[in-house]
Amino acid sequence: MPQSLAVRRAIVPEDSRLAAPIRGLLDELAARDAAGEVLTAVRHFPAREAQLAAMPEWVHPELAAVYRGKGISQLYSHQAEAIERVHTGKNVVIVTPTASGKTLCYNLPVLHGVLENPDTRALYLFPTKALAQDQLAELHDLCQRLENRFGVFTYDGDTPADARRAIRERGHIVLTNPDMLHTGILPHHTRWTRVFENLKFIVLDELHTYRGVFGSHLCNVLRRLRRVARFYGSTPQFICCSATIGNPGELAARLIEEDVEVVEQNGAPAGEKFFVFYNPPVVNRNLGIRRSVINETSRLAQKFLDSGAQAIVFANSRLHTEILLTYLKQHNPQEPGAAETICGYRGGYLPSERREIERGLRDGRIRGVVATNALELGIDIGSLDAALMAGYPGTIAATWQRAGRAGRRSGSACAVLVASSAPLDQFIARHPDYFFGRSPERGFIQPDNLEILLNHLKCAAFELPIGAEEVIGRAELPELCARLAEAGYLHQSGGHWHWTQEAYPADTVSLRSVTSDNFVIIDESAGPEVIGEVDFTSALTFVHPRAIYLHQGQQYHVERLDFDARKAYVKPVSVDYYTDAIRNAQVKILECAQEELLLGSDARPQPGARNHGDVLVRSQVVGFKKIKFFTHENVGAGQLELPENEMHTTAFWVTLERRLVESLPFSVSDRQSGMFGLLHAMESVATLLLMCDRRDLGTAIGERPPSPGIPAGDETPAAPSPGEAAGKEFFEPNLYLYDAYPGGIGFSEPLFQAAEPLLEKTKDLIAGCGCEHGCPSCVGPVGERGERGKEAALEILDRLCG
Amino acid sequence: MNRPPKDKWARLAALRPLPRAADPAEAARDVGHQAVYPASGDALAELVGGERVRNHFGEFLRVQRWYSEPAERAPRGAALHVLAPDSPTAAENISQWLFLDTETTGLAGGTGTYAFLIGLAWWDSGGLRVEQLFMRDFDEEHSLLLGLAERLAERRVLVTFNGKTFDWPLLETRLRMTRQIKVQPPVAHLDLLHPARQVWRMRLGTVRLAELERSVLGFDRGPDLWSQMIPQMYFDFLRRGKAAAPPLADVFRHNQSDLRGLATLAGKMIEMCAAPEKVEAEPLDLFGLSRLLRNRGERAQARHLYERALREGLPGALDRAARRELAALAKRDGDLGRAVGLWEELSGDSGEQRGGEAQDLFSLEAYEQLAIFYERRARQPERAAELTREALAALGGRSALDAFSVRRARLAARLTTRLGRLMRRADMPGRAQGGLAAGS
Repeated sequence: MPQSLAVRRAIVPEDSRLAAPIRGLLDELAARDAAGEVLTAVRHFPAREAQLAAMPEWVHPELAAVYRGKGISQLYSHQAEAIERVHTGKNVVIVTPTASGKTLCYNLPVLHGVLENPDTRALYLFPTKALAQDQLAELHDLCQRLENRFGVFTYDGDTPADARRAIRERGHIVLTNPDMLHTGILPHHTRWTRVFENLKFIVLDELHTYRGVFGSHLCNVLRRLRRVARFYGSTPQFICCSATIGNPGELAARLIEEDVEVVEQNGAPAGEKFFVFYNPPVVNRNLGIRRSVINETSRLAQKFLDSGAQAIVFANSRLHTEILLTYLKQHNPQEPGAAETICGYRGGYLPSERREIERGLRDGRIRGVVATNALELGIDIGSLDAALMAGYPGTIAATWQRAGRAGRRSGSACAVLVASSAPLDQFIARHPDYFFGRSPERGFIQPDNLEILLNHLKCAAFELPIGAEEVIGRAELPELCARLAEAGYLHQSGGHWHWTQEAYPADTVSLRSVTSDNFVIIDESAGPEVIGEVDFTSALTFVHPRAIYLHQGQQYHVERLDFDARKAYVKPVSVDYYTDAIRNAQVKILECAQEELLLGSDARPQPGARNHGDVLVRSQVVGFKKIKFFTHENVGAGQLELPENEMHTTAFWVTLERRLVESLPFSVSDRQSGMFGLLHAMESVATLLLMCDRRDLGTAIGERPPSPGIPAGDETPAAPSPGEAAGKEFFEPNLYLYDAYPGGIGFSEPLFQAAEPLLEKTKDLIAGCGCEHGCPSCVGPVGERGERGKEAALEILDRLCG
Repeated sequence: MNRPPKDKWARLAALRPLPRAADPAEAARDVGHQAVYPASGDALAELVGGERVRNHFGEFLRVQRWYSEPAERAPRGAALHVLAPDSPTAAENISQWLFLDTETTGLAGGTGTYAFLIGLAWWDSGGLRVEQLFMRDFDEEHSLLLGLAERLAERRVLVTFNGKTFDWPLLETRLRMTRQIKVQPPVAHLDLLHPARQVWRMRLGTVRLAELERSVLGFDRGPDLWSQMIPQMYFDFLRRGKAAAPPLADVFRHNQSDLRGLATLAGKMIEMCAAPEKVEAEPLDLFGLSRLLRNRGERAQARHLYERALREGLPGALDRAARRELAALAKRDGDLGRAVGLWEELSGDSGEQRGGEAQDLFSLEAYEQLAIFYERRARQPERAAELTREALAALGGRSALDAFSVRRARLAARLTTRLGRLMRRADMPGRAQGGLAAGS
């Protein structure tokens, strides 16, 4: 364990106002952790005073009075800055933590606009229906205080048909989600004439969720929205809010394709806070196995509850939520005649149930809440003494959002991240500086992904004929339209491209995946019931025959896969293993966009290169492994005969020069293991930098084509199956990380730009791992990598990083 | 429909062919803001006998025809009220009527669905004038819609078949998308689908215009195209032009047939609603018409037709439904004698006669109605209690969960309350027994 991670003994400062029991609890944990391996970080954030600013003069007097009535006569500095910029007509993105009063940043300017001109209309977009519902309460309160001078409604799939007309006519503020905008509003814009003619503001909350595929789609939906607004003569202004990410301004500007100003100096007050990383003790050092994250979280949560703290516990899956809830309820039995003190709080609860729980938390009746990730977004459940996370939520932004649930305006609070043995968790737990430094996470989108763009062009043509001079993204519109016309979708007349299909294009375009060609998953046990969908590209990996498919914490066994009908038939099971598909992926470089030598820390060239460009990935799932939970032992395998899948996408790759490979003091097979191990770890770190899911990236290793940039036979097995590669030696291997979506989703270039830090972090991950010869947390299990895989991977990285 | 013309000269004028000339510019006739040219050389125009119309926005193709059949039929009596209950009396002015039927590029609706052929018709010279406006490509849409807007300004009462949900909203969308052409909404809109459905659904199942023509109006329009194919026929025409013109000419004929069918249906329905007592029809249609009249508050006419339908004979289940509805009408009119008679018939049937669950429920509801009658009117609480108890006992035996469970549960609750009240008043024994039966 590196010295930098050593834990200070007296962890609570003398002047802290931390409640004595919690202070005792932290000290107790520290005392037991003699080696400093468990409490890998204890950060203290002193209380911060509010930075206040006066309510601007221009704010409509009635509105200022309403806010005064709510106890707001001054604004936090970031609120004042945000509304001032909105007032001058700028697009703004506000980046501040949970509970810093960001809704005022958009409600105030919008309501000011409505009071100045009652025709003003605004559209609020939230990534989920539940979030829109939760905003409604605050807006209804404001509306009442303004004597119902404006109308505010949610418009989503649940809105009754007879209410829709009233909403279109009388809604000054319409709260909806991107999917509804895409299928329900834009294709029927003539019914929304009043809204579009007067559309002044578009609010995008939780902007950081619009990245990758979803963000690329949203960008196109916004292109369509602006296009329709333009048709009705309006140019709306954007007000966006984002959690803390590395590039909020860049992401916002790419999404709305206009200039955006960033407001990020938080002026909200905060109470004193501790943030603790808790890495469960190792029980088997060889295999890198630690104590169960669920048991440890439950135990810690109980300690907080015993000390009198109100606590919220987050789990990453529905199953874990249920288990934690059961444990905590067992330990805190309901007193006869008294109400429950522990409750669950997850997506699917009705707003009224939520209000009830919030009330219970405020009046102290409810002591503990177990919640899923559905709640990390801006839902207001008040603030508690402690927030515990069972496992790393996947991104730094989400972690801060969850941690933000603990935090009193006065008094102090504590957030605890309990790490699981997953690679990301271990990396974060051992590299607190990475986490606590300025967020390196960045959101990326690729709205001009051909597949996505073509789908939205169809929708756009359906909404309004596409003019010859029109500009949509960076696309070659005439060429694309001509292609769509050839396929029978469009027809050119009078300089415009018109929609010529009976079907309604938006219905077949899902914003949450690239292709609409999805596999449905059917549970046959209780009459056929569709329980979910997976998109085409990941179908063979996740629902191949005999796979264990996890859905909402329940395991399902895939009985059969009907490839042509795009159906997977499953039945629920309870087994102690999961399956991991063995995929053979062959990457062929179509065009190398950029190639540069890697530079070491001393800026000297290293024996390797970074590249990115277009590739063809040919992949086939050839079998699967059964892997036991917790121990990650390989307990069986199966062979599969499934169709091959071809996909054009983009990739980032690292080339290892021949002299590097040859200088490695290892056998051919150990070198091979080292490369696969390196790639395994690099994939983990990449998902961290890109805020993406592991399944968004694919990996492969292949021989570098003879002459760079020229397509050549470059076909080799995929990373997870080194066995197949054992016989072949690589002379100048390329280590590929490709976007696992046809056309690419914008990850490759950012990875190319960040190649050096990516390799540095990968090295940190492997070097910092306590296992001896490799474990799932770093280079992959030792059983697969061989005894010297970890060592070889580190050796390669040493040479690459200089 | 062999009637003398109102104005023979007007009919002759309508039949006169349009002037043709070699030079289109010379042949132009000024009609308001538009000029009309022959469309020689245009394959489709020649097939369908159309002319080019030019207005502020450009050109479109127009086909005009006149038919002696169906003959004009003006609304009389309560007909308009029955067919379109919320229309103003101004809508009776038949010179304001405009029949409308569109052919579109799809059924999905939304901003990307176009009406490429707008069929209009109105009574003219005792017969029917049909005018079809057609866009030969998308760039003719604005001129086409302007042509429509002018007709809509002249005639402000729409008559359609499913136009309230389909044709009119679609045209409103198209007009709105021009951002330039404004039309006043029609003063009344008679959508014949809904009343037609009420009258004929029981006999015909689905109510489609072509089906009504065959089974109700007594004529066959001959070979017709499959209407699902229409959008594709238009798309083919857009891409292949002349070569795809013949199938499109069929679409014009189909649309003409629809408009003539619509006008004929309007005449038929006006007739039926204006003088229901004279209607000659199948018992099932009489039943359907009774319902329509009942829903429009024409109770006397409705009762008369219910009685006729029952006399002429309805199939079992519908016979019971008709009796039930008639009894409710009679009760409302204070004709308790007739109502009680009908309830007795309904409650007296044995299980086999009753048929499905709905029928069973009708029977039990008849018990309830009888109990109400004996309790309040006939002042025979014992008889009322007895009927209530019988009904509860019958209900108790039914526990299947089906579409009627909720209605049954509510009925059981009402019956239990009633029985309790009757028991308390009479201080009669047997309360527990009835209560138990209901609770099970």
